[in-house]
Amino acid sequence: MRNLLRGGLMVIAMAAVAALFAPAQPPGYKARRTADGKPDLNGIWQALGSAHWDIEGHAARPGAIVALGAAGAVPAGLGVVEGGAIPYQPWAAEKKKENLKNWLTADPEIKCYMPGVPRATYMPFPFQVVQTPKHILMTYEFAAASRIVHMNRPDFESPIDTWMGHSRGRWEGETLVVDVTSFNGQTWFDRAGNFHSDALHVVERYTATSPDALMYEVTIEDPKVFTRPWKMNMPIYRRLEKNIQLLEFKCVEFVEELIYGHLRKKPGK
Amino acid sequence: MRYRFLTSTMALAAVTAVAALAPVLAAGQATAGEAKVKGATRTKTAGADRTPPRTPWGAPDLQGTWDFATITPLERPSDLAGKEILTAEEAAEFERKTLQQRNPDRRDGGAQADVGRAYNQFWWDYGNKVIGSKRTSLVVDPPDGRVPPLSPEGQKRADARSAVRQRPAAGPEDRNLWERCILGGNAGPPMLPGPYNNVVQLFQTPGYVVILNEMINDARVVPLDGRPHLPQSIRQWRGDSRGRWEGDTLVVDTTNFTEEPNFRGASEALHLVERFTRVAADTLLYEFTVHDPKTWTKPWSVAVPMTKSEGSIYEYACHEGNYGMFNMLAGARAQENAGEEAPKK
Repeated sequence: MRNLLRGGLMVIAMAAVAALFAPAQPPGYKARRTADGKPDLNGIWQALGSAHWDIEGHAARPGAIVALGAAGAVPAGLGVVEGGAIPYQPWAAEKKKENLKNWLTADPEIKCYMPGVPRATYMPFPFQVVQTPKHILMTYEFAAASRIVHMNRPDFESPIDTWMGHSRGRWEGETLVVDVTSFNGQTWFDRAGNFHSDALHVVERYTATSPDALMYEVTIEDPKVFTRPWKMNMPIYRRLEKNIQLLEFKCVEFVEELIYGHLRKKPGK
Repeated sequence: MRYRFLTSTMALAAVTAVAALAPVLAAGQATAGEAKVKGATRTKTAGADRTPPRTPWGAPDLQGTWDFATITPLERPSDLAGKEILTAEEAAEFERKTLQQRNPDRRDGGAQADVGRAYNQFWWDYGNKVIGSKRTSLVVDPPDGRVPPLSPEGQKRADARSAVRQRPAAGPEDRNLWERCILGGNAGPPMLPGPYNNVVQLFQTPGYVVILNEMINDARVVPLDGRPHLPQSIRQWRGDSRGRWEGDTLVVDTTNFTEEPNFRGASEALHLVERFTRVAADTLLYEFTVHDPKTWTKPWSVAVPMTKSEGSIYEYACHEGNYGMFNMLAGARAQENAGEEAPKK
């Protein structure tokens, strides 16, 4: 009896853990279908909010550039991390603080480097999903970054580490599940210094909840940096403007002065 | 010196794109399909002998990875003036000679040449075949296979650009868009075969075609819904593309370029018309016409057959590892500080 009880408690505990990492309940919405019968996620999408500043909940705070005043200040946000806080290992929590302190010199976004995944999804720029049966192209306005999601090729390993990761996708009912690996460890999650290592493993879940919104859920695993896997989730919205299109934000030309300015020819030389 | 700077950029590009080479090399051998192109010139019969595969919504299906490596030159070499098509023997000889001349593993040119050949054959992927039609140039119009003369304004800009390129770089803007990692050297638009990463993947959905070049991972999203071009005030490195179907041919019209398009000194007046026709299961005929009266005395056209590749497109991180630019600028400053005379070339 006692054993039975203990067993029962364990089942409940396991169910609770499973619930934490299981996909959210399908909201019951069934998306329009593509020609091959899959949920149609084609479109130009963008996240709203301040996750690009800080994925954890945060009050508004002053920015790093005094001259930018209110325009450069960080807007508050409820956070997109489930449970509120990222489960850093102690050394990594220190490193995160360092990153935040050194934001201007350390954040790869500032140098116009490819933002990685999931950061690319919630940058304050639109991205376009181009959905075909074998490949789903995700192309991002920021830095003109892009990645190909290889559908139904679970054995296709990346031969090399990358900025945007190596993406393999599959459909689970209404949900596009993308497994992303082979990161080079040089990207961040946000402008607050939240980071990961090259052991990052991302599982993204895109589920349409209406014709114009997706729920975006991400599981983050990185045993070198975190004490356990953790999740973030947020809605992503369709850009509804007439004739909306991705515009160019190459950004290399905007950071040349920052990166190479000290190597310019001096007047009179 | 200049060449050394150039190759240092290429080195970084090559290193970051190592993964890309394998599928391309494999694909380069599958050129048999080109033979089905009846002359590289677009003719009314191109594609008429077969119906291309269709997407479920009825559009010609152009999707897949396409390889445009070839050693056929853009312009007809002067020693082949008047000769439009090579015989099979002549083509074989042309291939042999070209590959021999290009071979950086040669060590018969002295120390300076050896420096220029620091990147051995492993890094290069020009292809090893002429195009299936054995035309002597990729330029199909004018009929002499040569790019038309520059207009006076075009010449003036070309001279100014040349002067800038030949001096030690005062800043990153002195170098070309590829070395700055803004656009891919062979990705244009328009695309032209280059030293490596000559692969492009096409994606289609009911409202769009996307042209994704491996070189710097440029995804050009082309709406097909007949919407107007962007306002003239919005200029883009890759321009602004709109597509439509003419029969089985995808026609992409691109305008709104910046004052420095990624194409042979073209101006912001560049109006590019590209045509994609699947002329055989494994051959995509890519043609384009360049209209730019501020640069050339008349429009001109190019045809490049692309071959189906089973390889994948890989990430090409150029800017993220652009040690070449750093080294070019640091080298130029070191020269100045050492009081060296600027090299003439």
